[in-house]
Amino acid sequence: MSARGAAWARGAIYALTTLVGVVAFLYPFWLPAVAQHSGGGMAHAQDAPLLLTILVGLAFAVLLLEVQTAAVSAKTVALLGVLVAINSVLRFADAALPGPGGFSPIFVLIILGGYVFGPRLGFLLGVMTLFVSGLITGGVGPWLPYQMFTAGWVGLAVPLCRPLARGLGQTGKLGEVLILGGYGALWGLLFGVIMNLWFWPFAVGSADQHWTPGLGLWPTVQRYALFYVATSLLWDVVRGVGNLALILFFGRAVLRVLTRFQQRFAYAYTPAAPQPALARELRSRPVSSPGQAVAESRP
Amino acid sequence: MSAPRRSSLDIDGGPVIHGAAWGCWLVAVLVWAALTRNPWYLGVTLAWVAAVSWAAQRQPLLGRAAPLWSPWRFGLVVVPLAALFNALTVHVGSATLFRLPAAWPLIGGAYTVEALVYGALNGVALTVIFAAFTVVNRMVSLRAIVQLIPRTYYPVAVVAAIAITFVPVTLRQWQQIREAQAVRGHRLRGVRSWLPLWLPLLTGGLERALQLAEAMTARGFAGGEAAIPPRRQAALVSGLAAVLVGLLLRTVWGQHGAGALLMLAGAGAIGWALWQTGRVHPRTRYRPERWQGHDWAVAAGALIAAAGCLLPLPGQVSLFFTPYPAWAWPDFAPWLGAASWGLLAPLAVWMAAAEAHPLVKDEGRTMRQSHD
Repeated sequence: MSARGAAWARGAIYALTTLVGVVAFLYPFWLPAVAQHSGGGMAHAQDAPLLLTILVGLAFAVLLLEVQTAAVSAKTVALLGVLVAINSVLRFADAALPGPGGFSPIFVLIILGGYVFGPRLGFLLGVMTLFVSGLITGGVGPWLPYQMFTAGWVGLAVPLCRPLARGLGQTGKLGEVLILGGYGALWGLLFGVIMNLWFWPFAVGSADQHWTPGLGLWPTVQRYALFYVATSLLWDVVRGVGNLALILFFGRAVLRVLTRFQQRFAYAYTPAAPQPALARELRSRPVSSPGQAVAESRP
Repeated sequence: MSAPRRSSLDIDGGPVIHGAAWGCWLVAVLVWAALTRNPWYLGVTLAWVAAVSWAAQRQPLLGRAAPLWSPWRFGLVVVPLAALFNALTVHVGSATLFRLPAAWPLIGGAYTVEALVYGALNGVALTVIFAAFTVVNRMVSLRAIVQLIPRTYYPVAVVAAIAITFVPVTLRQWQQIREAQAVRGHRLRGVRSWLPLWLPLLTGGLERALQLAEAMTARGFAGGEAAIPPRRQAALVSGLAAVLVGLLLRTVWGQHGAGALLMLAGAGAIGWALWQTGRVHPRTRYRPERWQGHDWAVAAGALIAAAGCLLPLPGQVSLFFTPYPAWAWPDFAPWLGAASWGLLAPLAVWMAAAEAHPLVKDEGRTMRQSHD
């Protein structure tokens, strides 16, 4: 496969995993169609959550496989490991002393890290932060794969802000931080909207509750909107405002540090070519190992 | 040395169950909690998970204790909340408690017993899931979880291992920075005052990452593949496309058979690509967990429980229960109930160990008698 073909295939993987993920996340909105088209209705509608959870897992597995090809060098692996550790400590602090509402400091580094180091590292930073901090804080639960996927999307999509900042001529200026702050505020809300979907069907009941001949997709959306406004909006607004405030306060300084280290990490390690003359000289030179030195010093 | 009078409930300090066996058990519980809303089966599943949870409390803590809420406290909040919310938003059912004006958007209409019951059943299902995860969190160590990451995801496992190792170091560094800034007279006043703590933490961490990268390079660290080879890439793309088309066939066009076949074929292609990638990375483990006889028992119990739920056998239809439009007691298939006993396998393992190695008291210490 040519380089162009490989790039096309990579793009197809991103597009298809995102599509499968979106379809799976939105399964409560498909349930009416499942019930309508199935003979028994109930059985297929009730096993839909399980099936679509498996599909989210499958899409996530493929996306992670593709994205992890970014983490092949020791530099990337070490950088990711340490950034994830720092972010996990922030979540640990947040778990010990919870902030108001859905406020969480972890998104700042995912957003700024993804912006500086690129989409694949951003995705891995989001995914691994939620995974490692979940392990450390005992936060492993059915929500974790969904949290990982969603936080990965936060980091994956943030480089889309670059053309916007460039287009507005704000790269390296205050406007860049404002754009990233807006992105953080938006994802503060979106994270809640997406995360609620995994357990919403547990709260609203089965398919034949919300599918009747007169009740289609739009009433289901309305019902979800009510559920979201009643249970989560305030919570998520606090998260969005928190993201915005943290990026506005810390964004410029953190971006400067990350950009500086991006340049420092930009070295390439190339194994030296074998030099026969030097190797011969080294072999011929008497080298005393510690063991030899001890033996020689004995009477 | 004297053997004290013992009962079958002396199960403290049983054998350590393998992380993968716990994974099988967790999947089986999730299958039950996700597939059924029949109160009989939900009640039975909750009882079995509660029994395993009770026994797990008596084992040494290997993982993490429940961080804030015990699953039972969680249930006490979630079950009534879910019932209330379902009654607020779903106005279906025959046993009407009261009515709000139908003109009120969404919350207007009849408030029914059926809606309350269905909401409560959803709350019970959530409690079962939460309780099962609490057990696994408690009984599986961090090291075991990292070892369970498939070798396909070797770079991810390395990143996770580095991050877990660096968390205590980062916490120490945070403490040192706080103390150093406090000596300089720094006080925390508002969000801005966090910057002098946060920036040195980030800079110090990135410096350590540089040193670590150099050390790893010097030791000849070889990461994963820089790109997925074309054949595997083709398998992934075609597998994903098949899964997506199969899903749409099933949900939008109602073609269940064809949709399921396509999804299965797609999953197969993806599985093949993942397996091939895993073969590239030879795996070595430091002090690997041993898979023992009792792990087979737990995995077999989970398989029996999950198979009872998933296989299209007579009586399976009783799993799919709804109280609408009028409440009636659901059916209970005894063999399905019997299959759910597989979820008790961890408890059985601990009880069997207690039977084989009774507690003994030796110079004031209580320990389990060993045949070694």
